[in-house]
Amino acid sequence: MDSLHKPSRRAFVRAAGALAAAGASSRLWAAPAKDVVVLTAYPDAVVSRFEAAFEKAWPQYRLRIVWRMPHDALPTLRQAGQGGVDVYWSASPKTYAQLKDEHAFRKLPVSLEGLPGRVGGSVINDPDGFYAASEVAGYGFAVNPAYLHRHQLPPVADWSDLADPVYAGHLAVPDPVEVGFAPVLVDIPLQAYGWDIGWALWSAIAANAAFTGRGGTFVSDEIGGGRKGIGLSIDFFVASAVANGAPVEFIYPRQGGVNPAHIAVTAGSPNPEGAKAFVDFVLSDAGQKILAHPDIRKLPVRPSVYAGLPAGYHDPFATAARGGYLYDNARGRGRAAPVAAAFGQAFVRPHARLVELWARLHAADGATWNSVWPLLTAPPLKESEADDPAIQRAFFARRDDPAAEALAAGLEQTWASRVDARYAKAASLLGVA
Amino acid sequence: MRRLGFLLLMCGVLAGAGARASADWQVADAGREAFARPLDGLSDAERERFFRGRSLFNQSWVVAPAKDDQVDGLGPLYNRLACISCHARNGRGLPPEGADERMQSMLVRLSVAGRSLHGGPRPHPAYGDQFNEEGIPGVRGEGRIRLSWIESKHRLADGEVVSLRRPRLAFTELGYGAIGKVQTSPRVGQQVVGMGLLDAVSAQTLETLAAERKPDGVKGRVNRVWNPESAALEAGRFGYKANMPTLRAQLAGAFLGDLGITSDLHPIENCTAVQAACRQAPNGGTPELSARQLDDVEFYLAHLAVPVRRNADSDVVRRGEALFAASGCAQCHRPNLSTGTSPRFPRLAGQTIAPYTDLLIHDMGPGLADGRPDFAASGREWRTPPLWGIGLTQTISEQQRYLHDGRARSLSEAILWHGGEAKVARRRFAALPTQQRRALLAFLESL
Repeated sequence: MDSLHKPSRRAFVRAAGALAAAGASSRLWAAPAKDVVVLTAYPDAVVSRFEAAFEKAWPQYRLRIVWRMPHDALPTLRQAGQGGVDVYWSASPKTYAQLKDEHAFRKLPVSLEGLPGRVGGSVINDPDGFYAASEVAGYGFAVNPAYLHRHQLPPVADWSDLADPVYAGHLAVPDPVEVGFAPVLVDIPLQAYGWDIGWALWSAIAANAAFTGRGGTFVSDEIGGGRKGIGLSIDFFVASAVANGAPVEFIYPRQGGVNPAHIAVTAGSPNPEGAKAFVDFVLSDAGQKILAHPDIRKLPVRPSVYAGLPAGYHDPFATAARGGYLYDNARGRGRAAPVAAAFGQAFVRPHARLVELWARLHAADGATWNSVWPLLTAPPLKESEADDPAIQRAFFARRDDPAAEALAAGLEQTWASRVDARYAKAASLLGVA
Repeated sequence: MRRLGFLLLMCGVLAGAGARASADWQVADAGREAFARPLDGLSDAERERFFRGRSLFNQSWVVAPAKDDQVDGLGPLYNRLACISCHARNGRGLPPEGADERMQSMLVRLSVAGRSLHGGPRPHPAYGDQFNEEGIPGVRGEGRIRLSWIESKHRLADGEVVSLRRPRLAFTELGYGAIGKVQTSPRVGQQVVGMGLLDAVSAQTLETLAAERKPDGVKGRVNRVWNPESAALEAGRFGYKANMPTLRAQLAGAFLGDLGITSDLHPIENCTAVQAACRQAPNGGTPELSARQLDDVEFYLAHLAVPVRRNADSDVVRRGEALFAASGCAQCHRPNLSTGTSPRFPRLAGQTIAPYTDLLIHDMGPGLADGRPDFAASGREWRTPPLWGIGLTQTISEQQRYLHDGRARSLSEAILWHGGEAKVARRRFAALPTQQRRALLAFLESL
């Protein structure tokens, strides 16, 4: 063994510096890999795995990541030269639709054979071929079985179960104003049960829940840590936690929704061949299988891949074929922001009041119930308002456009006043101060 | 062997006592979340702070200017986008397996002969003290490093042949001229659990450990390093050469060196005199990492619990534990340390911990030498790395790579690279019969 440590001593003491200097002057390598610049908001667990696998498959290219959240991606891709970006790869359908309208993309230079354009009622690929889904995420309920057992709570299977007052104080719900994935979550029961019943369900669910924001705590933390028993969430956070050993289960309701992530090649791509290679790789069997890694756990868009995934891996295509996923994401995409804002005004802002009113209502007699229930459950906005393109534009542009912000803020005030008046009347009927 | 047997009996008792220390700092989790758990008993406000810190540790930083103005300021020169990039699941980084793979969770420190103003390594005049492969748009990265491996075979006493490898570096696509003669030190990311506890071990404890007389030629010194916060030389304890005095200094140094994020401790961007575009690039604030953000990340890392040992009471592990001590490993990989006062994080104070380190620097021989001095540490000296959690490396990192440059592909390889002050212990390990060697490794796997 000492041969390792003795004979080469003199050489080895000098080794690092000498070898490094020698390496600098002797180029034995192939031509430098050409950059493929990818704009994304994926976390490192996703990026690093695709980076390693792509560069192994395509050693002539080197991935260069420009990290931007979707609201910051727009200005990057709108600037001259599109910031040198070749590929935009992110989960923000609204941003893709916007950029397509602005001619920011070129037609996808790859075959989409074997990649369905929709999951149930949700279109996931651009019908004009400018962008395609690279993965989808579903929504549902994270459940801690030990917590439910400890609190003698029945299991949940669908949205309506969550409205049962037996779950009061046991639910965690992401605040849709704060948490990026949550607006779609809010819209799912509004579509599945209809506008009025959907909002009524949400009122009762919100009264049972505590809201989580964007402070860094995930629903999976709350449920896995046993602080709450049931958490509403996009699936991959929880599925990843489950795959890594968290004592949690994930329940997909009978009617869920999907949120696709997309991939597109920029109109001004400096390296279109490299961009094509990366898009090809992401959509290939090899790329799609990476999505099943325990640290990622997103849903592949290539149905043929599911056969090789771990047992029990959720297959949205199979679920859709059985009648699930009727959710219309094109409709939801437009109204997500106003719906989230209205949700905030109706349930998050006056949450303590809402909890108190529902608690009193559950103890009230039938006549009082009939008078008060509509006051707590009426939608804070009309469905026609949520579907109004002018209102949708205002909420989408409010960060950047003062006029849009003024319109959005005014509408929020209107909805807040509407809700406050109903809650005040309910309080009066219930004898609450 | 008679002497070894005696030591085995004596040291086994001592080592065994250390392994079953207080559980306040431990968490019972042997899964892939094992390095991500907070200490028990955090208040709601502390939990919020812990998770805020986690978000920042996991955050991919963005190029300034950006609407996300709390997390902008990446670079201008940098290695990776996020802290977590080099410490996936809070575990160890991995080196490239060949010259065509990039350094995803590894970096290379640079210096030239001489010392910096405060006695540390003297940065390369063009490339600084760390090679940053990446640059933000408009700022050329420093180049590429290709790492290849040189393999050699070695036969153990029982006839088993072990292949060991050491890295060879080559710079390519250099962005700022020829690099010339330069000292290099490749480093993979380290696991980050238990750092708050190590931060709370007093400097006096380290001095006392260093002053102890030890057998087998083992010495151990305290590195004396610059603390940018106190503007003084202090005992080093973090980093592969114990070249950082505190968790906060370690963090702020990594934010600057790896991500190009400035802080109150390092307010100047990491650009050298010849890197004009770097010096003119927009920043993400002055500093880019606010004091509160640094507080939050520090709180997060300080309060990451250490996983409880597995199978600690099994016969084979107990035999291995005794062999670990009897072979002399525990002279440096100390089973027990005590934390001192911890004014900022009181729950870390007064704990008896089992990190299996003395936090001292030791001559590890020419095989591991990088030839790059770092404050008091010579090119042959390295800090004793903590071994707690090492048995979960495969689970957390999905591969086993050990030592500062990830050259060792198994714990056996890592031990066989020990030289210098650890030469006697390594020889004892190499001479052990197969079953005893396996028992010692089973003990390490239990940590």
